Amino acid sequence: MNSYLYDGTADGLLSAIAWILEVEPDPEKVILSARKDTLFEEGLTINTDAALAESFFSRLKQYAPDAAHTLYSFMLAEKEGMETSLLHYVSLAFRHGDKVKGYLTHPAVRDIVNVAKKAGRELHRMKGLLRFEKLQDGAYLAKMEPDYNIIHPLAYHFSHRLRAQHWFLYDVKRRTAARWNKGSLQFGTIEQFTTPALSEDEKKVQALWQAFFKTIAIPDRKNPRLQKSNMPMKYWKYLVEKQGE
Amino acid sequence: MDTQAKLQILSGAARYDASCASSGSKREGPSCGTGNTSSSGICHSWADDGRCISLLKVLLSNDCIYDCAYCVNRSTNPVERASFTAREVIDLTLEFYRRNYIEGLFLSSAVMRSPDHTMERMVRVAEALRTEEQFGGYIHLKIIPGSSSELVRKAGLYADRISVNIELPSQASLQRLAPQKNKQAIIEPMSLIGREIADSLVERKVNRRAPRFAPAGQSTQMIIGASPETDFQILRLSQGLYKKMNLKRVYYSAYVPVMADNRLPVLAAPPLLREHRLYQADWLLRFYGFSAEEILSDEAPHLDDSFDPKTAWALRHPEFFPVEINRADYATLLRVPGIGVVSAKRIVAARRFSPITPEGLKKIGVVIKRAKYFIICSGRSSEKPDQSPTVIRQRLLLGEGSVVSLPKQLVLPGLFA
Repeated sequence: MNSYLYDGTADGLLSAIAWILEVEPDPEKVILSARKDTLFEEGLTINTDAALAESFFSRLKQYAPDAAHTLYSFMLAEKEGMETSLLHYVSLAFRHGDKVKGYLTHPAVRDIVNVAKKAGRELHRMKGLLRFEKLQDGAYLAKMEPDYNIIHPLAYHFSHRLRAQHWFLYDVKRRTAARWNKGSLQFGTIEQFTTPALSEDEKKVQALWQAFFKTIAIPDRKNPRLQKSNMPMKYWKYLVEKQGE
Repeated sequence: MDTQAKLQILSGAARYDASCASSGSKREGPSCGTGNTSSSGICHSWADDGRCISLLKVLLSNDCIYDCAYCVNRSTNPVERASFTAREVIDLTLEFYRRNYIEGLFLSSAVMRSPDHTMERMVRVAEALRTEEQFGGYIHLKIIPGSSSELVRKAGLYADRISVNIELPSQASLQRLAPQKNKQAIIEPMSLIGREIADSLVERKVNRRAPRFAPAGQSTQMIIGASPETDFQILRLSQGLYKKMNLKRVYYSAYVPVMADNRLPVLAAPPLLREHRLYQADWLLRFYGFSAEEILSDEAPHLDDSFDPKTAWALRHPEFFPVEINRADYATLLRVPGIGVVSAKRIVAARRFSPITPEGLKKIGVVIKRAKYFIICSGRSSEKPDQSPTVIRQRLLLGEGSVVSLPKQLVLPGLFA
């Protein structure tokens, strides 16, 4: 059984998978893991090749768009220790095409699909739960602390939705930010974040939303358990309607 | 009155409308404007009653000339009255949308002066949002029964979804509880909308730029428990609406007593379980290939309290089971209690690769708690075969280890001696 190592980056992972699928006759018997430079590490290190990673991903996208989408969502989760499963999944995807998604009796497929599903679910959730605040200069800022690294697809979603505004997304834990202004989307990191001043009418609009949130619930049907299962408490921190509870 | 006070009155009056869907319409918004719609719909929050909030759900006014017994806004109910101006609704929608609080606007209204007068003002709000503000988000407009077909058509051009509420499932109940409404005024716009939607779909096949008419379809709502109709009557009505008028959704809203009235039943609590069972039966109609007549009958016109309608059907039809997971087609799998659309699709997809074992079934995420009494898997069953419906019924109700106790016969000593 052959073992390989890669440098721990996303590009490194994809180029390693591309390389292994090229040279190994039976990729499903291969083990792949991130290099940690410990004493007893075994295996051949594969060099990272960003161009190879990209061409490999677009090849997968063409051959099995759905499997490529699963791979993309899986990468958002930044999971460590599942490289071998991912390798086996991709190898199966090239064999079976998009049908691979249904091969849930295979442990590698199940592991990858489940992680991808969780990341996809949080992305969909944040499309709804993200809250923008209007700043003094007229721009809008949304802070968030998602479990998965979803800022890229999330910013892409809002670039189609809030086109006429100048806005920022800020991932507080990862210190990454996205910015949309006049038709261009940029990504970057923020080392020192200072909360900017809010616009004058911001608190008023927030009060309106809080009032709406309270009255829209039917008192006779109060159901806090259902509310929490649909909207887990970990997201409440930045929800305007859940402040002061 | 300031906007916040109005908002409180007019959202509180709108909350009994169950519909909050924002799905079924996909629009790339205008390039210089705000908003688009996504076909899956997006929930933005969940209220304290656990229901999702995706739209700013408000009435334009709660100042009603009608006196429907079940309604919080009836003219004889001493509540505070308020009306929004068009500007107020538009500003609220846009301010909320820009902060990502909502997916769009749900606008309904009490009947002010006349149906046409009300409808016209509602349509004007939608029109201004679309044309003046370049708003590309979701709009759901309620149609006031009795408004002119001209206004209905206009509403369909600006809104993603339009709906006419049936409210009470029969003409007799309407007459008793909502004497100013009549069945004709409700059914007419519904069939008009149905025709317009169908026409616009045909037209858009020929011309991609033809205007869309209510792309997210039409829906309606019925109040459950305010009038004496049976579940069978209600389900048959829904079935007709889905089949004949092509409705997207029928909503059921458990009656919440808002005001004492001797024409209305006195309820300790809203009939939430009944509402839940009706939704389950509704799903069977739309996604599981069941008909209303399979679920209920004139002899048994009410849904079972202790079992979901599919399990109840399965217990009445032991001849249909057990179903072999590896051979049954999709439609048959869907009839197994505990196997839904997702599970059935997973089974069909997974067995292409290899036969599914009982362990494999668990691994692909099929919950077999209820299903196990009705299936065999690669010839094996995790339950004893040929259990009678009575035994299964008891196991499902009381759980695994329950022992069936046969009704004891009282034997008097010496009687047969």
